[in-house]
Amino acid sequence: MKERKKETYGVVLPGMELSGLVGKLIVIEGTDGVGRSTQIALLKEWLEQKGHAVLDTGLSRSGLVGKGIKRAKEGHTLGRITLTLFYATDFADRLEHEIVPALRAGFVVLTDRYIYSLIARAIVRGLDPEWVRKVYAFGLKPDAVFYLRIGVDDLIPRVVFSRGFDYWESGMDVYSTEDMYEGFRRYQTSLLEQFDRLAEEYSFKVVDATPEPKKIFEKLRAGITKILEGEPARPALEVTSGGTSPPVAPSTPAGEPEERAASAAIGASPAQGENLKA
Amino acid sequence: MKRYGEHRFPGRLFVVEGIDGSGKSTQLMLLHQWLKSEGYGVVFSEWNSSLVVKDTTKRGKKRKLLTPQSFCLIHATDFADRMERNIIPLLKAGAIVLCDRYIYTAFARDTARGLDPAYVRELYAFAVKPTGAFYFRVPLEVSISRLHAARSGFKFYEAGLDMGLSEDPSESFRLFQGRIIEEYEKMVPEFGLTVIDATLPIEAQQEQMRQLAISKLERAKQLRVAP
Repeated sequence: MKERKKETYGVVLPGMELSGLVGKLIVIEGTDGVGRSTQIALLKEWLEQKGHAVLDTGLSRSGLVGKGIKRAKEGHTLGRITLTLFYATDFADRLEHEIVPALRAGFVVLTDRYIYSLIARAIVRGLDPEWVRKVYAFGLKPDAVFYLRIGVDDLIPRVVFSRGFDYWESGMDVYSTEDMYEGFRRYQTSLLEQFDRLAEEYSFKVVDATPEPKKIFEKLRAGITKILEGEPARPALEVTSGGTSPPVAPSTPAGEPEERAASAAIGASPAQGENLKA
Repeated sequence: MKRYGEHRFPGRLFVVEGIDGSGKSTQLMLLHQWLKSEGYGVVFSEWNSSLVVKDTTKRGKKRKLLTPQSFCLIHATDFADRMERNIIPLLKAGAIVLCDRYIYTAFARDTARGLDPAYVRELYAFAVKPTGAFYFRVPLEVSISRLHAARSGFKFYEAGLDMGLSEDPSESFRLFQGRIIEEYEKMVPEFGLTVIDATLPIEAQQEQMRQLAISKLERAKQLRVAP
């Protein structure tokens, strides 16, 4: 893999050397039920068969904060600023202890969501958009962000018939409604608007997530192949740039059920993180 | 989201700052007693005390997992929880809130650990600007001798041992606290901190605090609860 020198969004952490990060940082963003974890499992297997070492990581999986966030969310006791900063702590821990060491060791890092989901959630909760972006200014710019996009109307049946509505994914902490369906629709629609802006601002590669998983996988594979070959990724993967299509559902707040499923399905990633540290 | 300085609450917020061994906690306790005896509704809020975040902070410190950035963010999280659930509601209710350490502690420590000062200040933009912020200025040697008398040994992060300044805990403490003093001194004009000479007799320091507090409470008679 050719090294392209990594950058951050403005703030470089003390002691963080940005040269020599020879691996690739690839982000999969998208809402719950859209199939992010399925795709990550497929991509990991494919990359490993091609001979790449892969680290997969995702929100609230840090050794430091992961459990604390889960416990706090069970009690529904977190304020919106607190929640944002708790997630930022989780992200800092994973960035410094997992992602950067893996990139230095030449891994392909596949991350299930990144700072963009966190920024979108915080803005939907009414926090100052400038402040939120600055909080995450220490984040590394990824080599690519693939955004799995689905309409809110396509999303609802998937969520309802698989695992039902979740308190946080339905923005129940944001709206004064007791109706989870109403909450879900409103919350997801607001998130979508934020995601459309972020897609443009951060040049996401938008992938239509309505076809069957195999088709989506093919597109992602084509996009990632280009990145690994060091070529500028061009729209050979039939991606559209952000901001055009009809109502789409973006990312959700909690995501833990799916994130847990992802780590279970893929396994081994925390162990890899440990090895890298050693 | 309101930013530092934009909040307008009926309550009052007084905070004390300074290095360990400056005597600030003693002074705050004395101010607390006096305000209570005067009939005010007073609530005390401590640094690092959010229940939601406490376990994570403890774990991070015990296992030495914290980097300067995660140290900074976990303390900001803890502070945000206290701000959102405790300090702001109390100020809205008209209470006098007393804080032992405030955002200036974070600015001093995180900057001494090498973080960008502008980043850390922006991170805490949601904090309420205090009615009065007292900085207890004390020479390093005085605070160290007070600490030696009071307890044995330094804690890992308190002594800045994560910074690799020195292998020797007490030398590391000296170097790290020296940096923190430099940061505090920069903040005195920046944030208009009220400097109290912490080498003066305890009574004299308390007298200065009470005078300033009275001047800020003049138009706050409505805060008084039954004597």
